[in-house]
Amino acid sequence: MSETHGFNTNKIFGMLFLFTALEVGWAFLPFPRWALWGGLLIFAYMKGYLIFTYFMHMKFEGWIVKGLMVPTIPLMMIVVFANMPDTSKNGLLVYPLTEQLDAESGSIVVLDETERAMDSPGYKKKLEARGEEVPEHLDGGH
Amino acid sequence: MSSNIPAYDPAVDAPAHHHPVYDYDSGPPVDRGKFAIWLFLATEVMFFTGLIGTYLVIRMGSPEWPNPKHLLAVDITAANTFLLITSSWMMVRALDAIQKGDKGGLTRWLGATILGGSVFVGVQVYEYVQLLDHGYLPNRDLFWSTFYAMTGFHGIHVCVGVIWLFCVWIGAVRGTYTAQNYVRVELAGLYWHFVDLVWVLLFTIVYLM
Repeated sequence: MSETHGFNTNKIFGMLFLFTALEVGWAFLPFPRWALWGGLLIFAYMKGYLIFTYFMHMKFEGWIVKGLMVPTIPLMMIVVFANMPDTSKNGLLVYPLTEQLDAESGSIVVLDETERAMDSPGYKKKLEARGEEVPEHLDGGH
Repeated sequence: MSSNIPAYDPAVDAPAHHHPVYDYDSGPPVDRGKFAIWLFLATEVMFFTGLIGTYLVIRMGSPEWPNPKHLLAVDITAANTFLLITSSWMMVRALDAIQKGDKGGLTRWLGATILGGSVFVGVQVYEYVQLLDHGYLPNRDLFWSTFYAMTGFHGIHVCVGVIWLFCVWIGAVRGTYTAQNYVRVELAGLYWHFVDLVWVLLFTIVYLM
């Protein structure tokens, strides 16, 4: 049994193992997307918290070390939100994301459409509009 | 004509040019190495934020995106995730050992950590070979370019970590570290835990979501 800084490393390790197993199981359950992603992000957050707080000893560090990490939080938000305008109006862009120029035909196409749209409701609508057969997994998949 | 200014006398004047000697340390109340590694890790956070944040924005902005669970080997990667978490725990045990003066324990746990990291890299290379063999090249589309960018840069970090830990392990074999001198072990451990932390997030975001 290992005791470091008053916490049990084996217990933290066991929790990390458990959360990872639960997370993988959660990923294959037929939840709606908000529940699936929400659960996965909660599991990831808990695992990250345990590693950051205990394995990296942040809980036991002084204000200087903690202060070094604080600026990264607003900086992370700036990085993400600075990218947002490029994609938030994707449908209005001349060349939307995931579409690109096909060198042979000279037209804008969605490459690897079948794979890309494996679970996409948009792809299902496209197939229906074309009168093509809709794969079974598009009806019931998450 | 003689000056009233007295001649320079090193015995009297020289001490005035010396820096004052204080009876306290003017540095930060934290080990300089630890301060430096945390500062470095803060920049690493921003590096991976650039990759993961861009991935999320691209994905959320894309009208269509494949389900990664249909394209990637989640079972193998889940086992690899367990392995990296285990190696992180073994790193904690290595530091714990040397803090208690157990040099043999440090060598063994550190060696096991390096082995775990090496196997992780090996499995990732195997996964890459399989994917490339099926024609999933980085230039195929946005899914694959972002996949290779994120997992590839993380893989490079794991390789650097393994090399770093190996250098520390050599010192451990030579008996360099003691219960009073283990800062280098701690610094390498902090980097290794960070690499583990990043993978925990990448596994969720890239493979499961």
